[in-house]
Amino acid sequence: MKRLTLLSLLLTLALTAQVRHEDVAKSPGNDWLTYAGSYNGWRYSPLSQITAANAKNIVPKWVYHVPDARGLRSSPLVYQGVLYITNGNSVHAIDARSGRLVWQYSDPRAKEGGVNRGAAIWADKVYFTTSDNYLTALNRHTGALLFNKKFADVEKGTTSTSAPVIAKGKVIVGSAGGDGGMRGFVMALSADTGAEIWKAYTVPAKGEKGADTWGDLLEWGGGAAWLSGTYDPELNTLFWTTGNPWPDYNGSVRSGDNLYTCSLLALDLDTGKMKWYFQFTPHDTHDWDAQSWPILVDTEINGRPRKAVLHANRNGFFYALDRVTGEFLRATQLIDKITWAKGIDDKGRPILLPNSEPTPQGNWVCPSVKGATNWMGQSYNPGTGLLYVLTLEQCGMYYRSSQDPQPMKNFSGGGATEEGGQVVLRALDPKTGKRAWEYPMTGLGRMWTGTVSTAGNVLFSGDDDGHFVALDAKTGKNLWHFNIGETLSASPITYSVDGKQYVAIASASAVFSFGLFEPAVGVQSPVIQIK
Amino acid sequence: MRALAPLALFALPLLAQHGRYLSDSHHPSIGDPVAIAAGTKLFMGSCAGCHGPDGGGGARGPNLVRRSLWHPLSDDAIFQVVRKGVPGTDMPPTKLADDQTWNLVAFIHSLTGPASSNPVPGDPAAGQAVYWGAKAGCGNCHSIRGQGGSMGPDLSNVGGSRPLAVIREAIVEPAKDLYYLGNEAATVVLKNGQTLRGVAKNRSNYSLQLVDSTGVLHLLQMNDVKNLTLSASTPMPTDFATRLSKAELRDLLAYLAAQDARAAEGKGSPQ
Repeated sequence: MKRLTLLSLLLTLALTAQVRHEDVAKSPGNDWLTYAGSYNGWRYSPLSQITAANAKNIVPKWVYHVPDARGLRSSPLVYQGVLYITNGNSVHAIDARSGRLVWQYSDPRAKEGGVNRGAAIWADKVYFTTSDNYLTALNRHTGALLFNKKFADVEKGTTSTSAPVIAKGKVIVGSAGGDGGMRGFVMALSADTGAEIWKAYTVPAKGEKGADTWGDLLEWGGGAAWLSGTYDPELNTLFWTTGNPWPDYNGSVRSGDNLYTCSLLALDLDTGKMKWYFQFTPHDTHDWDAQSWPILVDTEINGRPRKAVLHANRNGFFYALDRVTGEFLRATQLIDKITWAKGIDDKGRPILLPNSEPTPQGNWVCPSVKGATNWMGQSYNPGTGLLYVLTLEQCGMYYRSSQDPQPMKNFSGGGATEEGGQVVLRALDPKTGKRAWEYPMTGLGRMWTGTVSTAGNVLFSGDDDGHFVALDAKTGKNLWHFNIGETLSASPITYSVDGKQYVAIASASAVFSFGLFEPAVGVQSPVIQIK
Repeated sequence: MRALAPLALFALPLLAQHGRYLSDSHHPSIGDPVAIAAGTKLFMGSCAGCHGPDGGGGARGPNLVRRSLWHPLSDDAIFQVVRKGVPGTDMPPTKLADDQTWNLVAFIHSLTGPASSNPVPGDPAAGQAVYWGAKAGCGNCHSIRGQGGSMGPDLSNVGGSRPLAVIREAIVEPAKDLYYLGNEAATVVLKNGQTLRGVAKNRSNYSLQLVDSTGVLHLLQMNDVKNLTLSASTPMPTDFATRLSKAELRDLLAYLAAQDARAAEGKGSPQ
């Protein structure tokens, strides 16, 4: 009877519920309402049914094979028992208890293929962007198209891959394509109509402040914003990272720092105005986009309580900034071997080492072009006070070409290779920047999967060999693993339906959902009449 | 079941994925508006009598559109059929020159493309009135860009995803399609006494995903279901061929053909 009462309650809720700003601000709970779970980017869930003590009893609950998927990068959303996952130019709504498809929407005529990192949800709508920059809003119950609105021209080198973030009725979208020449931006669109509210370019126009940090290639300078960012409601500030300057490997044609590439931007949510910026890698020539999560944590740093933003960068360093002012607080080594910089100075600028630039003959530099970390989902757990980051110990060759830069022709001014290497999952202490523990992995450095951690003191992550693993969040001790058997390129989430906790992750071609073992209950078929 | 009677159905959810919408030939006439226009004239004069003006089939000739969706011929194979005919059938060989034959192939190819990409007779504005009016009542069940009912499939992109002949067939011969899964009209009585009416978006022996008549999704476990009643036939009315005049049907088709998610914003909106 209790079960039926609960079911009735759920049905009643379903009639009225709408996702509101407050719901996303409080997320995650039973639901997972935004890419990183919460505006602060923690990928942390208060769910605690699965614990470090019982994680050994985790079993798969269902698998949904996404049609035509080959390398899913999507982090699912869950709202009221429905899980939403994206593939390039499609969205699939899945019953989060059974794994059964409810609806799917696809836009096969989108120009460009490519990856998609996830959807957003607001009111009664599910949003995603097509590869050719249409913000698309769908009815969350039926998948019916409500509106779609083009926000950028694919003809100008811009594509779209990231999950939108929605705050106070504004859908924040980014821009991809920075390796081929384009001008990066972050945009706010109306959640009701898709109309543009503001657009913040990541590279200045001629004559604007910062334009003197470029040569003539300003117009195609890159600085793509291809990963979602985080949001501090109290400061009403968005934190968004930017990608590499273009052409990637040939810096001789763009002398200067190339603002605001490889940076973290603090933008006002209402106006898009830049409050401050911090550039991690001035004049980058190694394709070290700053696309890694800006994680918002209030903690003590250098003996003082701070509203901090933590950022593990592709260039090999782990940064802490004051998120109110952008002040540089500290940088420590994220990986063991860094050969391009001796360290980071008091102002936050790298202290460069010689023979690190790409050349026609090539230079061997650590980290590799994949970076010391990348866009993989990181997790901050307030219970353990640790930040979990997937890192890559890898070096590679960097080459520069002398060809004239040609935008939108897949030209990047050179190339890079990477060799060997190892993925290591590291638990970092935000107070000191030091490692609390680490979990080295076997594999070939090919994964892009991330983490989620919980109040049950469990850290879930993919590994570099296609396993889904559960670790003790305090110690890094392995608790459980499951061989999914495919390269993992997406980050896990956790949710609860009917009082049962699930953990879900997309593999290359499918979505898997796991939970604690319970004996099966035989299903009694109801009376079915067809008339 | 009375409440569900006007439910409508476009029971071809998979076809849009598999239709031969993209050119599979490098011949320059394919996709060329001039060639298609020339081919249209040839088709109307020599082919439409058997195959129907939109290729939807007639008393003597098969439906060229539906066949191509399930088992597409290459453009070169269509060329050969036009040139040589089909021995042992009513399809005769032709003596058209190569370029004329290619014009015809270009038109036949275009018939299998989305309705929105081809010229369609009729008045979309008049068709809009038919769609949202009481006589046809399409909007009671089918939404377009957020307006209308949610029992039938969303039609916001119907012109952008389906050939005209397929749309016509779904209106005038809805019972022809036997693919109802995802669109079954269902009445569910739960063990707690509650009754839900709507469309089963998906169902198995173990779970049921149902959108009710107010457009709200319910995720049910079959162990919670006491009785499930499914409609044996399509909930789409089957009398549109007689309920609507020829002009109304033509205009309605023109309106639906214009529904394209990739058209300029605002085009084809119901207001």
